Amino acid sequence: MKGDTIPNQHHVARLCDNKHIDGGFIQATAFMLRSVDENLSVNWLEFLNCSCRESEIDELRNTFSRKLKLGAKAKIAVLTVGEVREKVLTESPDRRNLKVLHDPQYGTVNDPSHSGIYNLNHDDELIAELILETVQETYPARK
Amino acid sequence: MLGVSTVSGDKFIDYHSPSRQLHSGVWNPRDIQNYWESYARGRKYLTFLSTPAVNPESYEVYRGGWPDKKDPFTQTDLLANEEEQVQELILEIRTSPSICHGEILATRLVTLFYDAKEEDFANLGIVVGSLRNFYNFFQLHTDLKCPTISLTPDNNIYASWRGDQKKVFSVLFLPNGDTRFVIFKPNDLHPERQIRISGTMTTDMLKAEVAPHGVWDWISE
Repeated sequence: MKGDTIPNQHHVARLCDNKHIDGGFIQATAFMLRSVDENLSVNWLEFLNCSCRESEIDELRNTFSRKLKLGAKAKIAVLTVGEVREKVLTESPDRRNLKVLHDPQYGTVNDPSHSGIYNLNHDDELIAELILETVQETYPARK
Repeated sequence: MLGVSTVSGDKFIDYHSPSRQLHSGVWNPRDIQNYWESYARGRKYLTFLSTPAVNPESYEVYRGGWPDKKDPFTQTDLLANEEEQVQELILEIRTSPSICHGEILATRLVTLFYDAKEEDFANLGIVVGSLRNFYNFFQLHTDLKCPTISLTPDNNIYASWRGDQKKVFSVLFLPNGDTRFVIFKPNDLHPERQIRISGTMTTDMLKAEVAPHGVWDWISE
C-alpha cells in the first residue's frame, strides 16, 4: 500500500540508464535526483511475489520496457534496503535517515512495485557515492 | 571557506566556498562535420546516426526528426545553437594538444551525448555550460589520469577517479563554473575507517582545495 515502509531485509531495484554506465560499471550518478524529483525511484522486489531473483528481474524488465525506452547498456541495480539505510545513516556527514517507501503507480502502465527512496537532496553526490557502494547485484535491463 | 563540518574517525569535511576503454566506432571530426552539415540542411538526425555505430539502437528514436511544435523554428534553432557549442567543445577536447587523453575523453563524451539524446531527443544531450567547465578543468590540468565519466540526471558531467584502498575523487561540473566534489580516502591512523569529504568550489580553485588531501598524487600521472 502507498506509503508503507519497506522492511530492511527486503530488496529494491534501481534502473540505471545508459548515461550512468561507464565501461559496464554503474556510476554514482545513477543514484542522484533529477531537479524535478522528490525521491529516487526504485522497485520493491519482494512485492512482486516471484519465486526467485531472476523472475523478479524479468518482471521488472517487462514493466520497464512498457514504460521507458531502455538503452542497450542500461542495468538494474539491486540493493538491500537495510544496508543502504545503515550505510547512509552511519557514513553521511549529517547522519541521513533515508526512508524507503512503497509508492505504486497506476496509469497507462501499471507499476505496482514502484517505490521511492526519500530524504535525498539534489546536491547529495556523497550519498550517491555511498549508495553505489551498497549495490549487491546488477542485471542487464534488457532481456 | 564556509560551512566546514568534520567528523573524526569516519571523518567528514564539508566545504561550501565559492583506465578507460576506447569504444569502437568513434566520432571523428569528419563524422561531426558531416553531421552538422546534414543537420543544418535537414534538421534531422538520420545522417548523424548513420555515422559509426556508437548507439545503433538510436536509429528508431531519431529517424522521425524533430517533433511538431508551435514555434519549431525558434526552438529548434535554440537547441541547434547549444548543440553546436557542445559539438565544438568536444572537437576542442579531441584536438587540443594540452588536454591529456583528449581522444578518449571526446569519444566518451560523444557516447554520452548519444545516450542522453536516446533518452529524450528534445534535450541538449550534454549541458553546454557543464561541458565548458569540464573542458576548462582539463585545459588547466594537463597531467590528469583518465576518469570515468557519466551524466547526472540533469545531463551535467560527473567525472570520477578511483584508486586503491577505496579511494574516490568525483567532480560534478556545474554550468556556472562551480564544481561539487566528493573525496573518499583511507584514514591513515585508523585504517578500518574512511575519511569522506565533500564541498563546492570554483573549478579554477579545485586543485588547491583538494590537494592537501593527497588527491593529486593518485589522479595525476
